[in-house]
Amino acid sequence: MPFINDILGYDSLSIVGLEKNTGKTECLKYVLERLPIGTTRVAVTSIGIDGEAVDQVTRTQKPEIVLREGMYFATSETHYRQRKLVSELLDVSNETTSLGRVVTAKALTAGKIMLSGPSSGSSLKRWMEQTHDLGINLTIIDGALSRLSSASPAVSQSMILATGAAYSANINTLVQKTAYVVHLINLEKTNEKNLSMLMSIEKGIWSIDNEGKLKNLNTATSLSQQIHLEGLENCSVLYVAGALVDSFLEKVRRDKHLRNVEIVVRDFTKVFVTPQVFNQFVNAGGRISVLQKSKLIAVTVNPTSPSGYILDSSVLCGRLQEAINLPVYDLLKN
Amino acid sequence: MQLKDIISSPCGISFMLEQLDLQSGYARRCLLDAHMMTGEPEISASYDVLRSFVAFIDRVEPVQLNTLLHKLMCLKDLRGTIANLNRRAVLDDIELFEIKHLSMLAGDVRRLLEQNGFNHAVEIPMLDDVVSILDPDGMRIATFYVYDSYSDRLKELRALMRKQPERQEELFAETTKIEDEIRAGLSGKLYNYARALEQAQSALAMVDISIAKARQMQQLGLCFPSVSATETNYCNLFHPQVKDVLAKAGTAFQPVNIVFSTKPTLITGANMGGKTVVLKTLTLCQYLFQFGFGIPADKADVSIKDEIYFCIGDEQSVEKGLSSFAAEMKNIDAVIKASREDRKILALIDEPARTTNPVEGTALVQALLSVLARGSVSLVMTTHYDIEPGEARCLRVRGFDKGVMNYELVEVHDGEVPHEALNIAQSLGVDDQWLEAARQLLGVSNNKNEL
Repeated sequence: MPFINDILGYDSLSIVGLEKNTGKTECLKYVLERLPIGTTRVAVTSIGIDGEAVDQVTRTQKPEIVLREGMYFATSETHYRQRKLVSELLDVSNETTSLGRVVTAKALTAGKIMLSGPSSGSSLKRWMEQTHDLGINLTIIDGALSRLSSASPAVSQSMILATGAAYSANINTLVQKTAYVVHLINLEKTNEKNLSMLMSIEKGIWSIDNEGKLKNLNTATSLSQQIHLEGLENCSVLYVAGALVDSFLEKVRRDKHLRNVEIVVRDFTKVFVTPQVFNQFVNAGGRISVLQKSKLIAVTVNPTSPSGYILDSSVLCGRLQEAINLPVYDLLKN
Repeated sequence: MQLKDIISSPCGISFMLEQLDLQSGYARRCLLDAHMMTGEPEISASYDVLRSFVAFIDRVEPVQLNTLLHKLMCLKDLRGTIANLNRRAVLDDIELFEIKHLSMLAGDVRRLLEQNGFNHAVEIPMLDDVVSILDPDGMRIATFYVYDSYSDRLKELRALMRKQPERQEELFAETTKIEDEIRAGLSGKLYNYARALEQAQSALAMVDISIAKARQMQQLGLCFPSVSATETNYCNLFHPQVKDVLAKAGTAFQPVNIVFSTKPTLITGANMGGKTVVLKTLTLCQYLFQFGFGIPADKADVSIKDEIYFCIGDEQSVEKGLSSFAAEMKNIDAVIKASREDRKILALIDEPARTTNPVEGTALVQALLSVLARGSVSLVMTTHYDIEPGEARCLRVRGFDKGVMNYELVEVHDGEVPHEALNIAQSLGVDDQWLEAARQLLGVSNNKNEL
């Protein structure tokens, strides 16, 4: 069975799709059906509204999520009342979502449920900490549409990325765009020395010079137009705690003192840079690394787009696999 | 009047609420919804409860206290659920879970208090019967579902469901019917306990609030007041927020002693002499007293009021389009109107009519004093105007004494205001030419020894 064993090596897994209808829910279903729950206690939730029977945007049929007996889950009050399984309520949280409070329960029989868990990253993290007390070994998060933030290593240790014809119906573009996201997810971790120096810094832009001295550039974000990069002749590392954007990267590339600089970001979800700008920066000699990295376990594809376009599954898998050097699966075919 | 109505009062009660370490949001809501107490038995009873909690936290082991606080953190707002129960609605699993959770929590808190020798100042109803209804297997864990043991048929169907997953939908429909019947039965049984559940919920909120108040008394050094039938008397009174700000700046707050009754009290004194702080503190203490908090003083005898008015001059009402003078006149007018009804009123008025010309200002203040001297108003008023005190008691901030400001209030027998403004301005380092010119106008010499 592809990649199921890989998942078991981690405490948490998030499944994210690059676009609606890229097969994220199918992928979750695939994983839930195959996990050895006799030996692993599994808890499942979703960030934001998910698990509707019918896709709210494209009106296409969406698979419902089937839980197996013994699985734990978090969902909203509204969806809990609509469950089609027998389950034991363990907790009702104080945090409310648009669908009511988030409840945690354990499935006593198999059955269908709509998932709509904690709505923000921080409440999700709190819920995950809580599940530890229940003796959960693996938490699975059904990520929200095009919100990669739920796959942030700050939340989950490992991830599965779902892509497909819905993201782009042109096979070349699809491979290219997916490969770029995979490239970002796989950005190298910076060295231990930088890690220990930067890990606790949560805002601003900082530099580290050749002698290892840390300096605050007194700029809140890389979006700012007033970033002064003067006096950084001996700078070897630039740390951007928040979002990394095109304009900043361009500025660094154009500065002759910063040709070989290493830019460190918190994790790949903070990189908001177009592929062109990213490549130009790397080609000029720069490097981008991260403080935290999550393990990309697999990429899944859905060759069918909701508009009716169907790509050749084996060609797509082959091309993508070649481009990203990772196993790629079409779960409906397997 | 409820506590939530005075949160933004300039007397600084919000500081006291921020300092209050409540465990649950529900307790906070209960506290903010509390009505101001105006009866002697009510106020005394509330302080008796608080006293027993102060004794309790003195005695209890820190570990036990933490366990208790942790339990209180789990208190949820069940008003909606209890209202449904009272309407004889059929409760769903989430509501039944909440009721079971509350009942077990009430039992746990009750036991923790009893084990630590707490006398029954707060009565938490026993809800063991409720727990039994919602825990047919006697597992005593705070989780819930429609248990198999409620019905043999249900148990059978669920077993079938596990064995024959292909019949899941059909079987689920049938179990749903049975579950609904069971929920209806449970809701019917629980209906009799709605009142007890409500009491348990309020009692737990009360425990949370009382422990928070008791801990605040220790942290801020507050005292238990006694109820006085006549005058209000504070010994070493301080304002916790101002004290806190001063402590951060490295200076100490100088506590004051003050006594007042229904005879008007006039406070005069130099600028920066702490007159406004005195009024703020008096307002704060009256509220704290009538909402059952500790009082920031060494000793406090407080008389109960029906209404409290704090008029601080520089409120501008931008929304209503009133100038500072108009806003002030309206506020004071409300006091006068209220004074004509037969109610006990505390009115604290800071420098009335200060923004108008001194001739009319003096007349307004003089007249106010005589208007409010009638009726059952306890008036404490500060002013810079020269007023004929008449019946009023006059207190004066001692003022600059050997180069240091002395905030002590001393009784004087005339209403004459001190002339220290120039000296104080000089101590602030204000331009010499300006002050010299002012002195010449007043015909006084620059005698620094006065400072």
